[in-house]
Parts: sequence; structure tokens; C-alpha cells
Amino acid sequence: MRGLAPIKIIAATLLVLATVGWLAYTGVRDTKSYYCTIGELSAMGNKAYTRNLRVAGNVQPGSIQRAGTGASFVLLEQGRTLRVNYQGAEPPPDTFKDDAQALAVGTYGRDGVFHATQLQAKCASKYAPAKSGEAPSGNTAMLAPAK
Amino acid sequence: MRRSHIFGFIALVWFLLTLTAIVYATRLALFVAPTEATMGNVQRIFYYHVPSSMLSLIFPYVNLVASIFYLVLRRRDPLRALTADALALAAAEVTVVYSSISLLTGMLWGRAVWGIWWTWDARLTSMLLLWLLYVSYLMLRKLSATGQSQTLAAVLSVFAAIDVPIVFMSIRWWRGQHPSPVFGGGADTGIDPSMMPAFGWNVLAWAMWGVFLLVFRFALERRRQASEQDAALIAIEASLEIAQ
Repeated sequence: MRGLAPIKIIAATLLVLATVGWLAYTGVRDTKSYYCTIGELSAMGNKAYTRNLRVAGNVQPGSIQRAGTGASFVLLEQGRTLRVNYQGAEPPPDTFKDDAQALAVGTYGRDGVFHATQLQAKCASKYAPAKSGEAPSGNTAMLAPAK
Repeated sequence: MRRSHIFGFIALVWFLLTLTAIVYATRLALFVAPTEATMGNVQRIFYYHVPSSMLSLIFPYVNLVASIFYLVLRRRDPLRALTADALALAAAEVTVVYSSISLLTGMLWGRAVWGIWWTWDARLTSMLLLWLLYVSYLMLRKLSATGQSQTLAAVLSVFAAIDVPIVFMSIRWWRGQHPSPVFGGGADTGIDPSMMPAFGWNVLAWAMWGVFLLVFRFALERRRQASEQDAALIAIEASLEIAQ
């Protein structure tokens, strides 16, 4: 019996490890819930209007209209557009400008406008030196196609 | 020369080399590496955030291997098991140091660049979990009954180690706020060659510092174990004298 004990423990441990790993992997793979693309938003149907969502895209150049701490702008993603109306306690982050990758957090209205209460920027995984004297450009790379 | 003198000499040389590497790496990161185009000077936190994060995913494996050795040896060879246990403890403490630095520098960077201190995406959540697991490992060691703590801690270590590859893979498996891998991430990733020396030297310097902390803390724990054994021996001898 004593000789068998370590094997039992190892088997039980492996079982727990495999279960936790599998749950973590499939759980998050199926939902992918951190943000959705504009394409996924329109494919959601009625569910799109009832959930709190995070939508990703690039800010369409020239579309930003600021009003107090709020702003209204258009998000672009793979040729699709989404009008966003941001009303939040804080002004948009410094990195929020034309072409910048942004995440809008809020709800999608039946009027076709996304009502955001929070704006977040996304940053790049590619670093290049700035030309001398130039201000930071923000992340203006096009959002990668959805995985 | 006695063995402990040789060890002390090597430790001193290692410590001085580490300090030199840290000074040089800091100079490269803050003054020599070019300012980054999209984020400006804030990007320099990369040279601290990424090496600390890498190390906080490496030291848990030292803790895991030492814990497995402890579990295997604890009945067969208790003295060697104690050595493994001291190494496991030291590795867990270094893990907590580096994962704390990773989380703190990440929050500062996130506030500046994303506009938020924190968000519950897969990378940030799994990293916070890693930090909590190794903090709970250390608390378990402090609070559990004497004689039980090593075994309990070693078992917890095996489970805590599951989270380490999950943290590593999180930005590869799942969509999130955290950027996808800078190294080996395919097109539109990577750093300019002019930034490579600052990055490489910081990885080296902080790895050397981590190894120094690990060995120093290991030696300290070995001394504590030795003095505990001495105290136990004295107590046994004293009780025998009374019996006579």
C-alpha cells in the first residue's frame, strides 16, 4: 500500500492539472470576451443591445468632435464603421487621436450609436525610434484582423 | 582557504558584477536607447517591465522543481529534503519580488498609455493570480503548524505552477488589452535593433540580481535550519540530563 501512495498522488495531481488547464483554455477561447470587433457586434443581433460591451477599432481621421469631457467620433475596423458617443467623467486619454487604436466601453443603442462611458487605448508590439523632436504619435497601426 | 571563505568571495564578486551590470543597463535604458515613436519616453518602462515579468515566470519553476524534490525526499532523506525546501522558499520569495515589480510597472505604464490603471483581461488577471498564489505560498509557510508547513507548501507549489504557462500563453491564446508578444509575434512586432542592447543588458542585470537574491536567501534559510536543529539538539540533551 505504501508503495502505491505516490503513484496515486501523482495520478490525482495530473488529473487536477489537466482539468484546470482544459477549463481555462476552453472557457476563455469560447467567449473571447475582452473586446469585440465591429463585425462581431453587427453579427450579434439583439444581444448587442442588452450587454455592456467593449468595441475595438481605429479612430477615423477627422471624425473626433469634442464637447466638454465627452467626445463623438467614428471607429473603423476592416472597412466597417461605428459611430461612438463618449460621455465619461474623465476626458479621453492623451493617446486618443486620429487613427489611434481605441476600445470603447459601453452599450450599443438601437439608434445605431455606441454609447461609451470609458475609452481605452491599445498599444503596439512594435517599437521604433522617434524622429528627433517629434511628439509621440500614438498607436496608429490598423487593428489586426480578428483571430 | 576554508570553503565558506571561497563561497563568500565568489558571492562578493558576483554582487559587484551585478551592481555594475545594473548601472550600465540603467544608463542604456534611460539615456542611450532612442525615444520610442508611438509612446515617447514612457516606453522606457519596457526595459524594466519585460525583464521582471520574464524572471517572474522563470523562478516559479525553480520553486516547483525544489518542491518536487522535497516531496520525493522528505521520508527517504530528510536532510537533503531540507536543502530542497530552503531553495523552494528562496525561489518563491524572488518570484514575489519580480511579479510585484511586473504588476506595478505594468500599472504605471497602462495608466500612461491605455488610460487605465487596471483591467480584467487574461494577461493581467492570470498575472495577478500568479502573484496571489506565491504570496499565499509564503503566508502558508508562516502560518501553518510547525512540521507541516514544508509539505503543505510543496503541494501548493505544484498547483501554483499551473498558472505559470497560462500567464505566458495568455497573450497568445486570448484577445485582451495587453499587447501581443513583442518578441516572436510575427509581422508588426519586435523592437528596433538600436533598442536591443538596453533590453538585453536589463535582462542580464536583473537575472544576475535575481540569482544573487536566490542564493543569498537560500544560504540564510540554511543557517536558520541549522540553528533550529542545534536548538532542538540542546533541548534534547537538556531533557536527558534532568532524567538522570
